Amino acid sequence: MTVYLLCFTLLLVGIYGIITKRDLVRIIISSGIMGYAVNLLIVLFGYKNGSIYAIFIKDTPVSPQMMVDPLPQALVLTSIVIELGTTAMLVALAVRLFEKYQTFDITKIRRLSG
Amino acid sequence: MNQQAGMTLIVKTVTRISVWLILLYGIYIILHGHLSPGGGFAGGVIIALAFLNVMLAFGRDFIKNWLNIEMLHDIDSSSATMFLAVGILGMAFGGSFLANFIPHGTLFNLVSSGTIQVLNIVIGLKVGMGLFIVVWALALFHLDRKELK
Repeated sequence: MTVYLLCFTLLLVGIYGIITKRDLVRIIISSGIMGYAVNLLIVLFGYKNGSIYAIFIKDTPVSPQMMVDPLPQALVLTSIVIELGTTAMLVALAVRLFEKYQTFDITKIRRLSG
Repeated sequence: MNQQAGMTLIVKTVTRISVWLILLYGIYIILHGHLSPGGGFAGGVIIALAFLNVMLAFGRDFIKNWLNIEMLHDIDSSSATMFLAVGILGMAFGGSFLANFIPHGTLFNLVSSGTIQVLNIVIGLKVGMGLFIVVWALALFHLDRKELK
């Protein structure tokens, strides 16, 4: 239970960064931290105490009951790819904003017209 | 701001050796995706990092001559179609979409996973080229601070 609460704390750190920071780069990093918290939570759902990773190794007899659940890991792989695309899009938007306004401070980005 | 092409001589010399090792490691990770941790995505990221290493060390004007960016873009775009083609071949020979139609080898050999290895290679191409092109496109921006209009 403690690890789930720690994951939630990490999510709160990301939300705190998005709400309070003014720098666009820090906002992007905070959104990444939020994504990592969710990925960690999903991977922890599939974890059993004392189990091994879900790969058969040559000359090492293991039974599938000893392995962790591989389905959340496959799900998280998809989530990581989507997060990569989202981050790339946010960075591209931040670069365009910097070209137009010459700043990353969101309190100075005020002219929404044109 | 003076845009000097690339980093110092030390970084360039080390990069000249290390880029091939990084590429080889990425190919190893892709080909052994069904046997060990890793696979198409992880190996593709490593291949993209090899190209990124060259771009950081030598500058973005060098990478335009060293690599054929148009060809990388073509590989990136066509690999989704290749994945679909493997799936439809499974439909034709195996009975359902993405079904296995290549004979299994013995377990723990390099060629022992049927179409999984082919799909790993396709995903590695897609991820590697796509990730490198994303970073390259972001590096094309000139982030020089100038006066506001």
